[in-house]
Amino acid sequence: MTDVTLYHWEPNANSGKPMLALMEKGVPFASHYIDMLQFDQHKPEYLAINPQGTIPAMTHRGAWGSRVLTESTAIMEYVNAAFAGPDLMPADAQDRWRVRWWMKFMDQWLGPSFSMIGWSVFVGPRVRERDPEELAAAIERIPLPERRRAWKKAINGDFSAEEMAESRRRVALGVAKLEEELGKRDYVGSDAYSLADINIFNSTYSLPLSQPDLASKDKTPNIMRWLKRVYEREAVRKTWAMGKTDMAARYSLVMEGII
Amino acid sequence: MGAVLYHGEPNGASLTVLAALAESGLDIPCRPIALLAGARHSLPGIAEPIALDLGIEGEGPVLVAGGEAMTESVFLAQYLDELAGGCGLQPDDAYAHWEMLMWCRQITERLSPAAALLGNLASSQAAIAAIPADDFAALTAAIVSDDLRARWQALHDGTIDAAQVADSEAKVDQTAQRCEDKLADGRDFLMGDFSIADLVTYSWLAGMEPIRPAAFAERPRTRAWLARVAVRPCILAAMAMASTPEPLKTWAPGPEINRWG
Ligand SMILES: N[C@@H](CCC(=O)N[C@@H](CS)C(=O)NCC(=O)O)C(=O)O
Repeated sequence: MTDVTLYHWEPNANSGKPMLALMEKGVPFASHYIDMLQFDQHKPEYLAINPQGTIPAMTHRGAWGSRVLTESTAIMEYVNAAFAGPDLMPADAQDRWRVRWWMKFMDQWLGPSFSMIGWSVFVGPRVRERDPEELAAAIERIPLPERRRAWKKAINGDFSAEEMAESRRRVALGVAKLEEELGKRDYVGSDAYSLADINIFNSTYSLPLSQPDLASKDKTPNIMRWLKRVYEREAVRKTWAMGKTDMAARYSLVMEGII
Repeated sequence: MGAVLYHGEPNGASLTVLAALAESGLDIPCRPIALLAGARHSLPGIAEPIALDLGIEGEGPVLVAGGEAMTESVFLAQYLDELAGGCGLQPDDAYAHWEMLMWCRQITERLSPAAALLGNLASSQAAIAAIPADDFAALTAAIVSDDLRARWQALHDGTIDAAQVADSEAKVDQTAQRCEDKLADGRDFLMGDFSIADLVTYSWLAGMEPIRPAAFAERPRTRAWLARVAVRPCILAAMAMASTPEPLKTWAPGPEINRWG
């Protein structure tokens, strides 16, 4: 029996962060797959754990009873601090600041733009075909009003040309800045593998496939070198093996492209 | 090369970092800059500018260390605490630390953009609108971030819609309620012990008292907590660095309002 249970979707974006952090630390955990495309995250069983209805969430049982943790980046920091295993934060104070800066840049500036694009080209189309009444009921169950709006837009294909253009601008600029950063240091924010790499890898691992115009051997050699290094980590392979959709198949495709 | 902290008046992000610096006891020279004159976008001695160029917080303080521009007030407070070898602004326990980070993220993601919007409308929009056209063009041309430049422009042009204002007021009210709930068990500070959570919440909420009195009217515990934080030595030290009698009424363009969900 394990003390840790992780509620997650695919090893991707926010769900992938605590999955990979736990795997790197060697912390055994019970995996509870939440199928985002079936709206599992808005069902009463899950809302009892995270009333916000977003994934991931983690529970940790111990002498204190059972704790619920949310927010993928903050969960990673907790995992790093609460468990033995390799330290996933650098020791130097300025490096630590940089690691946190990059994670915020991803979580609050670049990531939402990736999400908007992902939801409009991937999530929306996959969900759209379902029975309209069923979908309307599913949207009704979403607790956060801003998410209800985002889901409606994704399902109806209602993201405006303006907001999509802004998201594309941010993705292109963010990728260019990441390329610059990885030209200065071996990893994101420091010379050692850290939570910032886990964070950013989970949103950029498929760029060479999905956005070859932005990330490729010629255009972004530093990103490609870094992706390859991270891909080769055992924890990444193990985490990717937990995927259930064809997203996980991208792993081998990207690897082929990189090597 | 020694570090330098460039900061605005002690309010918002600058207040958090000035107070954290005072608490840390570190000897880092502070240089006040005129945020509304765009001074943050022409700082000297920066070889690594990305955190200044693409910071999320808007016109917050900049710590230049080893030629690198460091931004984001919560992380700067953590940095100063850690550089000082732990000055007590962050809990040691992993879970308590997670709670503090979650709280700070709620504040910087929800309250800060709302407070900055309301604060700017109340106290700096007229000054921004009055900047002569050529000067304003030069000022905004020096801003690297397109979205920060757009926030300056919106204040300049007065194109902020009523829905954004209402949403911001609601967020201030929600934060005050969240504080009220947190303090319900009789604790003195938000996380129990005084921490970065108090610094960052005070920094963005204290200036809302005159602007949004309704948020505080029925929330006595929050008012008492604001009064307790106001007299902490580190806050008093930060306030003593003001060059104006009412620093909590000085604002400059802040973080953007969440555009996703
Ligand atoms: N800031 C949160 C965001 C979590 C989040 O939005 N997760 C997405 C999946 S990557 C989600 O739950 N989407 C489903 C929904 O909103 O219904 C975190 O980092 O954990």
